[in-house]
Amino acid sequence: MMGGICSRKRDQPVIEEGGVSRVVSGRYGKSSSSKWLGTSSFRSTVEQSPGVAGICPSLLELCISKICRDIDKYSSLSLLPRDVSQQIFNELVSSQSLTHDSLQAFRDCALEDVCLGEYPSVNDNWMDAICSQGSSLLSVDLSGSEVTDAGLDLLKDCSNLQSLTYNYCDHVSEHGLKHISGLSNLKCLSFKRSSAISAEGMHAFSSLLNLEKLDLERCPEIHGGFVHLKGLMKLKSLNVRCCKCVTDSDLKAISGLTNLNELQISNCNITDSGISYLKGLQKLNMLNLEGCNVTSACLESISALVALAYLNLNRCSLSDEGCDKFSGLTNLKVLSLGFNSITDACLVHLKGLTKLESLNLDSCKIGDEGLASLAGSVLLKNLELSDTEVGSNGIRHLSGLKNLENLNLSFTLVTDGSLKKLSGLTSLKSLNLDARQITDAGLAAITGLTKLTHLDLFGARISDSGANSLKHFKNLQSLEICGGGLTDAGVKNLKDLVCLTWLNLSQNCNLTDKSLEVISGLTALVSLNISNSRITNEGLQYLKPLKNLRSLTLESSKVTASEIRNLQFAALPNLVSFRPE
Amino acid sequence: MKKEDTVKLISAEGFEFVVHKDAAMVSQTIRNMLTSPGGFAETEHGEVTFPEISTTILEKICKYFYWNLQFASGKQTEFHIEPELTLELMMAANYLHT
Repeated sequence: MMGGICSRKRDQPVIEEGGVSRVVSGRYGKSSSSKWLGTSSFRSTVEQSPGVAGICPSLLELCISKICRDIDKYSSLSLLPRDVSQQIFNELVSSQSLTHDSLQAFRDCALEDVCLGEYPSVNDNWMDAICSQGSSLLSVDLSGSEVTDAGLDLLKDCSNLQSLTYNYCDHVSEHGLKHISGLSNLKCLSFKRSSAISAEGMHAFSSLLNLEKLDLERCPEIHGGFVHLKGLMKLKSLNVRCCKCVTDSDLKAISGLTNLNELQISNCNITDSGISYLKGLQKLNMLNLEGCNVTSACLESISALVALAYLNLNRCSLSDEGCDKFSGLTNLKVLSLGFNSITDACLVHLKGLTKLESLNLDSCKIGDEGLASLAGSVLLKNLELSDTEVGSNGIRHLSGLKNLENLNLSFTLVTDGSLKKLSGLTSLKSLNLDARQITDAGLAAITGLTKLTHLDLFGARISDSGANSLKHFKNLQSLEICGGGLTDAGVKNLKDLVCLTWLNLSQNCNLTDKSLEVISGLTALVSLNISNSRITNEGLQYLKPLKNLRSLTLESSKVTASEIRNLQFAALPNLVSFRPE
Repeated sequence: MKKEDTVKLISAEGFEFVVHKDAAMVSQTIRNMLTSPGGFAETEHGEVTFPEISTTILEKICKYFYWNLQFASGKQTEFHIEPELTLELMMAANYLHT
């Protein structure tokens, strides 16, 4: 049931290969995924301001906006300077108003970038105008379109093309790929999740000697095709994540690509034997093996890659034996070992990794003793300890990690009393204390962490009294308290947390419309979840000032979908996702 | 307005628009001209000539300057652009970085 009852294990701040910590929402009792909220170029319906709300639009922006609205009046924009016509083009695309007809005005405009990724109705008929940009065209994105071999053929007029993106490509054949083989200036090629790319078809890539970046993530038919990449000595980045068809023999084929800097082979059918072919890739800086069926034996091969700074071994089958090989990888900055059967014994070998900034030990069999091994890793910024046996004793080892910014202690054994040992970690921005044994006292112990922007207390037992502590966190952007102990009185403490963009108070079943009165002033809110409460339709009026709201979840309350729709229509143009719907 | 707070913007046809300095500096190009230490010859006397910008367009641009200041101070209204001016105005805005 939506807005579920107990705190389930949800996705945690994931430490990505790039060292960027990103909070991914789980499924139960949670607001919908934040992934699209931040990056979508959602247009406000206010006609006048193409820029960000509040910032004065430039005269150029105003004129471009006007031309876009009247685009049918212009038969050709080729006399405009290219940077201007490029801006008009981009604006038409982002406002979803470009059509095949208005596209014709852009013939011979010397555009450099044609970004039509997942733009509706793009097909072969569009390619003529697109390719008329000729040698000016540097990048094109046709992802999700219906362009076929015939359309790709026209690209040969664009001899300077550096980047071609055609993800979700199912309408092209081996024949069509041959048309690309002459584009010798191509540096970046992306065909994510494209059944059109076969091993034989990859022969077309063998002439692309300037290729630096190749993305074939989730392509089901590429097994055996890597032999065609052998001559691509400039290749720096290869992504074949989630290609179940990729096996050890494919790695043998790329063992000579010694300029490779970044290799992503997560969730492929690789074993320890395949990894041994990578030993010669001395420039490898980033290696992603998440979800591969490798064991600690592969560490022998990996230890040869001394340049490695990012290593992802989440969900492999690692054990302690062989982990001594970590100690030689002294350039490691980001190391992910989540969901492996490693213990404190493994952590001892990480002591010498002085450059370590991010460490993911989610669901590993580590405990307090293991944290002692980390006490000297003073550059650590991100530490993921969710679902481990770390407890109050172990926390004291972290008190010297003054650079710590993101700390996840959800589903560990830490208690209220030990949290004061974190009070010196004043750089902390994101803290996850989703654990039932954390209560008001624990929250009170960390009120000195005033730089906190993200605080997750999902299953912690916070009552109104504990909510008093919240006013110290004036920089809070994201807050989750779903333990059921809050009433309207407690919510009053959120009044001054005006930086909040993400708020989840679901499962506090005593919250009424009175809480919405307080939330009414939090005008930066983008996502709000108060499911499993006593909110009614009458409370919705208080949400009218929340002009930035894009996601609203009020499941299992007295609110109806039709009333939310009315609210959206009347006051909240940016609201794209709501439940009930 | 005091003379020292103003600049004179001159169109292709020789038409002179006297505007407040703050208004003129909404244009990054004009701002650079007026604040650059080396000094542009034309701006020594607080005058800038735009031989490529017609009077009608320059007048509209000055109106934009004042609209911009008003917007920034909280009074947010619509800035109407006559359809026949749009292209020329856009080119001038691009040049003036405004």
